[in-house]
Amino acid sequence: MIVFVFFSVTNYCIPIAKANAKNIPTNFLTTYQQVPNTKALKKLEVRGTVRDTVGVLPGVTVRVKGSSMAISTDLNGKFLLDVPDENAVLVFSLVGYVSQEIPIKGKDVIEVILKESSSGLDEVVVTAFGGLQKKTDMVGSVTSISVKDLKIPSSNLTNALAGRASGVIAYQRSGEPGQDNADFFVRGVTTFGYKTSPLILIDGMELTTTDLARLQPDDISSFSILKDATSTAVYGARGANGVILVTTKQGKVGKAKLAFRLENSLSQATQDLEFADPVTYMNLFNEAILTRNPLGATLYSDDKIAGTAAGKNSIIYPVNDWKKMIIKDYTMNQRANLNVSGGGGVAKYFISGSFNQDNGMLNVDKRNNFNNNIDLKSYTLRSNVTIDLTKSTEMIVRLSGNFDDYTGPIDGGTATYRSVMRANPTLFPAYYPIDAQHAFVQHIMYGNFGDGNYLNPYADLTKGYKDYSRSLMLAQLELKQDLSALTKGLSFRTMVNTNRSSYFDVNRFYNPYYYTLAGYDPLTSAYQIVNLNENTATEYLGYTEGSKLITSTFYLESMLNYNRTFKKHGFSGLLVYMMRHNVSANAGNLQLSLPFRNLGISGRATYAYDNRYFLEYNFGYNGSERFSEKNRFGFFPAVGVAWSISNEKFFEDLKPIVNNLRLRATYGIIGNEAIGRPEDRFLYLSNVSLNDPSKSATFGNGLGAMYTVNGVTVSRYANPDITWEKAYKKNIALELGLFNKLNIQAEYYTETRKNIFMNRASVPVTMGLSSAVSANIGEATGSGADISIDYQQSLSGNMWFSARGNFTYATNKYKVFEEPQYREAYRSRVGQGIYQTYGYIAERLFIDDAEAANSPRQNFGEYGGGDIKYTDVNRDGQITEADKVPIGNPTLPQIVYGFGFSMGFKSFDLSAFFQGLANESFWIDPSATSPFASYRTDGESSLAGKVLNNQLLKAYADSHWSEDSRDIYALWPRLSSQVNQNNAQTSTWFMRDGSFLRLKTVEFGYTLPKSFQKKLSTSTFRIYANALNLVNISKFKLWDVEMGGNGLGYPLQRVFNLGLNITFN
Amino acid sequence: MVNFNKIQMKKYLTVTVFAIFIASALISCKKYLDVVPDNVATIDYAFNMRSQAQKFLFTCYSYLPGDGDITDDPAMLGGDEIWEMPNKGGYFNIARGLQNKVNPLGDRWVDLYRGLRDCNIFLENINRVPDIDPAEKLRWIAEVKFLKAYYHFYLIRMYGPIPLIKVNLPIDAGVGEVKVVRNTVDECFAYVNELLNECVKDLPLTVTDPASESGRITQPIALALKAKALVTAASPLFNGNTDQAPLRNPDGTQLFNQTFSTLKWDSAAVACKKAIDVCHQVGMKLYYYNPSFSQFNLTATIKTQLNIRNSFAEKWNSEMIWANTQTIAATTNLQRLAATWWDPALLDGTIVRGELSPPLKIAEMFYTKNGVPITEDKTYNYTGRYTLRKAVDSEKLLIKKDYITATLHFDREPRFYADLGFDGGIWYGQGKYDDSQDLYYLQAKFKERNGYGKLGYNTETGYYVKKYVHFQNVIGTAQNYSSTSYTWPIIRLADLYLLYAEALNESSGPGTEVYDYIDLVRLRAGLGGVQASWANYATNPVKPNSKEGMRDIIHQERLIELVFESQRFWDLRRWKEAGDKVNTPVLTWDLMQTAAADYYRPVVLFNQTFGFKDYFWPIRDGNIEANRNLVQNLGW
Repeated sequence: MIVFVFFSVTNYCIPIAKANAKNIPTNFLTTYQQVPNTKALKKLEVRGTVRDTVGVLPGVTVRVKGSSMAISTDLNGKFLLDVPDENAVLVFSLVGYVSQEIPIKGKDVIEVILKESSSGLDEVVVTAFGGLQKKTDMVGSVTSISVKDLKIPSSNLTNALAGRASGVIAYQRSGEPGQDNADFFVRGVTTFGYKTSPLILIDGMELTTTDLARLQPDDISSFSILKDATSTAVYGARGANGVILVTTKQGKVGKAKLAFRLENSLSQATQDLEFADPVTYMNLFNEAILTRNPLGATLYSDDKIAGTAAGKNSIIYPVNDWKKMIIKDYTMNQRANLNVSGGGGVAKYFISGSFNQDNGMLNVDKRNNFNNNIDLKSYTLRSNVTIDLTKSTEMIVRLSGNFDDYTGPIDGGTATYRSVMRANPTLFPAYYPIDAQHAFVQHIMYGNFGDGNYLNPYADLTKGYKDYSRSLMLAQLELKQDLSALTKGLSFRTMVNTNRSSYFDVNRFYNPYYYTLAGYDPLTSAYQIVNLNENTATEYLGYTEGSKLITSTFYLESMLNYNRTFKKHGFSGLLVYMMRHNVSANAGNLQLSLPFRNLGISGRATYAYDNRYFLEYNFGYNGSERFSEKNRFGFFPAVGVAWSISNEKFFEDLKPIVNNLRLRATYGIIGNEAIGRPEDRFLYLSNVSLNDPSKSATFGNGLGAMYTVNGVTVSRYANPDITWEKAYKKNIALELGLFNKLNIQAEYYTETRKNIFMNRASVPVTMGLSSAVSANIGEATGSGADISIDYQQSLSGNMWFSARGNFTYATNKYKVFEEPQYREAYRSRVGQGIYQTYGYIAERLFIDDAEAANSPRQNFGEYGGGDIKYTDVNRDGQITEADKVPIGNPTLPQIVYGFGFSMGFKSFDLSAFFQGLANESFWIDPSATSPFASYRTDGESSLAGKVLNNQLLKAYADSHWSEDSRDIYALWPRLSSQVNQNNAQTSTWFMRDGSFLRLKTVEFGYTLPKSFQKKLSTSTFRIYANALNLVNISKFKLWDVEMGGNGLGYPLQRVFNLGLNITFN
Repeated sequence: MVNFNKIQMKKYLTVTVFAIFIASALISCKKYLDVVPDNVATIDYAFNMRSQAQKFLFTCYSYLPGDGDITDDPAMLGGDEIWEMPNKGGYFNIARGLQNKVNPLGDRWVDLYRGLRDCNIFLENINRVPDIDPAEKLRWIAEVKFLKAYYHFYLIRMYGPIPLIKVNLPIDAGVGEVKVVRNTVDECFAYVNELLNECVKDLPLTVTDPASESGRITQPIALALKAKALVTAASPLFNGNTDQAPLRNPDGTQLFNQTFSTLKWDSAAVACKKAIDVCHQVGMKLYYYNPSFSQFNLTATIKTQLNIRNSFAEKWNSEMIWANTQTIAATTNLQRLAATWWDPALLDGTIVRGELSPPLKIAEMFYTKNGVPITEDKTYNYTGRYTLRKAVDSEKLLIKKDYITATLHFDREPRFYADLGFDGGIWYGQGKYDDSQDLYYLQAKFKERNGYGKLGYNTETGYYVKKYVHFQNVIGTAQNYSSTSYTWPIIRLADLYLLYAEALNESSGPGTEVYDYIDLVRLRAGLGGVQASWANYATNPVKPNSKEGMRDIIHQERLIELVFESQRFWDLRRWKEAGDKVNTPVLTWDLMQTAAADYYRPVVLFNQTFGFKDYFWPIRDGNIEANRNLVQNLGW
């Protein structure tokens, strides 16, 4: 927090104050700027201190309203000012803070707390194309997040979004480093096309969620979320899902400031999974086989189970706690950020560097000859330099690079975690000790079983290592030209941007030697082991090259800006031309390799009358290469009005109570060109593979080589009429400020999304089409509300308090959705939410096989007693797709909220933030968590060809249907050694309430007293401790509810962090 | 510069910057977004020249169902011929009664209709190809018409009456137009027949370059398919099947003709004869093992076994009319699944699985050595078939000498020993070719090398499919299994002979020609003629004299000769015999026993059920929801 204060203050503080600071006693007035010809009246001396929520504020301008008398606060935030009379009103203002007007009412000591602009009634908000708009002039709907709120102890910025900004629906499903991006949506989702996420622009450059996630909060100057039609119309066909705008810091004129932040954090799973003990595992594994097939061959003999229970020889009766063996309980990570900023008459600069060290959570074994714990170093360097070429011309050069160097296990931390969750714990030891028979071997004698294809996570971890490098380079040149010479208020800006990203990796490894127990004597514990793969295993290293990814982007933006006020009439205008070009080196096919391009002209015109009435018009006219020529360009207009009631004459009397009352309304049409699938580049063209091996045929008598010719596949049929989605958005907002302490902003929106691209359900299969026929025929509607409230209170001179809350509610539903001719009305999606799940109604478990045989037939594979019984909703005697009904809440939460407080006493500060979501359902993934099953998703290539056995959750072991205990409401149905398809159907059986409330962050800080800091020449010296994901309240207990269905996935992390923040003047 | 006055300079700069802005905005916007080069592949390229068009021809072929691939051929594991481990999945689930209409197992509705669309695209466009020889063009057209006929036939066999796709509907056809209805059974077979008639004349008698063309469609193939299609159309399932009377289109059209017609059998017989004649004309004959060089002087017993084994597993042997060249990899894998550990020196391997397990009823289906069913042979101890008996020296080429095994395994016809592996049974070849020496044999009791008990590798019944394993395959050390590949026979001459005998018997009753063709097949199998065998050994010596008796005999002959060749599945259906034959418990020996007396007790492994609905595949519910004009098959 202090860091933010440092930037807010020092970047904007008035130079004169600083220049004199050293020579002036701290309680003395630093500056006294009185305009000479002010009439001398009966003067009153008023003194006081100005603070913000963290500490005192130097450099605040204190002005007497209606006069030109003004003064700045000193380094300790103190001021002393003569005022004309006791009815005078003092205006306190500082860039980055909300101005406050305080009537002195005869008091001579005034304590003021200024609020940072981003959390309430701003001074300025960053809007589309980097425009700055005064918050009090805003017509559109824009949320800005205070940069300090983005500083959570996580190296992923997106995890800070949930509950912090009204209008954002966000949640995090995985704690996997590098894969822990939160999912976030601006005002939910009102499309069923592929792109539902907002457009992300960092310094005007379109970047990905991951790029946003890697951004250092210390480098951010503003973070805005554009929500409604008026604010996003200028982005035309790309703005329908909302826009996230981030700008990085620039230098300010002044002496070099050096700030650094150091953090060391400890990270652990928010909740540990509880597994059944090894003996239970073996017993239930056997039960799982025999209960399904009494003739089935079991994996474990009675002797083995008994021997293990008795804790006999660990080679013959192995028990592996893979998790304990491979994964540490916690890991330590370090982050450091250093930046320097300043500037002189000609140039200003902001240079920052940061270094993150992510250490793996893997245990390193001494047996191994290389250290293959994860070591991920991430460096960022950013340089923003502003040069005044002439008095009216400014040039800004922004260069930044982000670099990752990784060395660690081949499969990475995540895959290692997954393999731990899927390895059999009792079939073989991780490795066998080298015995007399194998005294000559140079390798680790890894354990295995059967064909040697069982997953041994220890072997996979220690067999080798991977190196990778990733880099992202951005270069940006911006020219700003003041054209006042041509006409006053006119300026011009052009910006050229390019970025390159690259990635490569290399694996070095040996093929592990696997051994298995060939025989043993239960009495003497003598045993023999034999090798399983002598022909394929190696003692020496092999090598494979991984993927290599390179992309290149170019962006040009030119802009004319006009801004002028004639007496009470304020005008502004904006005209932007932009073009964007993006290519990728490893696109995969011709159509994807062609450049991605965008081209557009956008504009804005605003008119304000007397700070009371505001009118705004925006448009975007842009085109995309994805559509046919006749549908290439689209026009997206939006209008908005606002009325500042509190600025009306008649409102004067109410002002002390209601300091702000404002109404806003906007309406407009925005597009979404990202329709279909990402790989559907040119929907107006057919996509044909003329050399498709999957359509080959082979002939020949086999005496020589066979004759094979590849065939032809049509993967898309041409449709020149395809075009973008259109979103018709309405927004109504109320802003209310009470007592200068409480601010409420409430917005209500509706949206109708038309022209949604979807597959035609009316084309029967007998047409023989090899890909779906699609058209812009879908429609969806959405509506919701965003509310934010903040409150601040200074309790005494030394103590302050502020609190804040956000609430977002977003719903959506299908309006037009082409679907088959259902006989059952409940199957139609029309009128249902887009994220509504359809599934079967699970009644209970079948009591026995006889009951299963006499119930409506369930068509998903074998089932019997102890398997889930579904309701035959349409009573046709069978359980089919037609019996699926809408069940539960949507999978995308409808409500996301957050609230918290900050308080300070003297040099101490404390803050806490709670975050929650509601109206969400999730389903326990019955496949991914099915005990003993060999479960693998397509993406998990590292597990290909392995025999996997899912771990057994203790909860499942404790509560499952078995022939001895026929609990028809048990948590888990009858066991099975494979995924049972009958039970794996989406049904109410595994449906759970996804709502939760968590204590997301807590922070406690201590700032060294100013007097002490002076000796150190620092302006900020703060030590703090904070924690992330400390407490979670939810009905669901098996694992962290925010992870959703797959409890065996990488757990979300709880982080404890210690930090130090120092700024040198 | 110094001379410039400041205001002037500012204006200059302003104007310049402004000009750049305007200019950049006007850079031909249209061109910027035209990123697609002219030569992006479209379907038009497929017919620009012969070599491209050939790719499209092969595309049409690529939809050929994968006969011999247990993951693609429902007739292998979906019936009652071969049993598997319960978790095998795939088509085996059909056998286990898990067929359903939500996600039908082995649904080909999507795939084959795509194939038909591609065939039609080919036929619509082939005349555009400039550089193709006219004769070749006619041949290609004929091949594609054949494929169209075959894909329709395959769908009819599975689903019964289907919507015929004679020409493609345009992609933007109206909703009313695309919602097609099912054609009647008679229309369906008539269209298949029409296409086959059209294509025959333009097809070559044999392929000119076997090295690159074997497997391509020839006249014998087209005629043989026609024979098979007409026999199918004449069979009880499609000919006057009154069970299917309620199956009607929404407009009331009855899909199954309710009147039985002998004429259908007459034309089927004619088609069979025509096909046989053309096959003979190109030199095809039943296969006999007769290598140009033979290292050992084999006994007649082993030679007969090789006649039988190789008629199936010898690539492009003399009776192969149509073999599937697309599934060689699959049949190689199949050999691995069927093979077992016959070599006692190499038991550690895991590459052979021995998991394809014929149930007891298949073992009992084979004739006695006298060429009549075990239930009808008056010299055969049928009731004592589960008792034990010790093999004697004279039987050493069939059963390991002195081995005690079930009586059922003694005195059986050569096809029993050629097609099945069993406990104590000799397994000729596989590295031991001299039949005067000791040969490999199986030991299949509990935890024996071929018995139950090795995790994930075992027979489920006590029997193995020897037929699938080429006699020259050899198990090596570790993961080595060298196998001789073969192409899966779709139609071979013996099949055609038996079809002819069947059609002729149905159309005009038993006669010389009926006996002759069935006896040809029996002779190769080392058996005497039908009439003599029944006269000498059967309890009912005159059975071959009646049409009904002969029908029984032909059916069983067919089931034996074509066992494991994906024929029983379809034959039992078209005869409407599946209800009787499939609806019996799957019996196995008591696999968990080590003593012969305990082992040779039949136990029930599974109670198979075959209902009326199972004669046809269910149409996927989703396909009916997309087109309510399609009616679902009865019972689903």
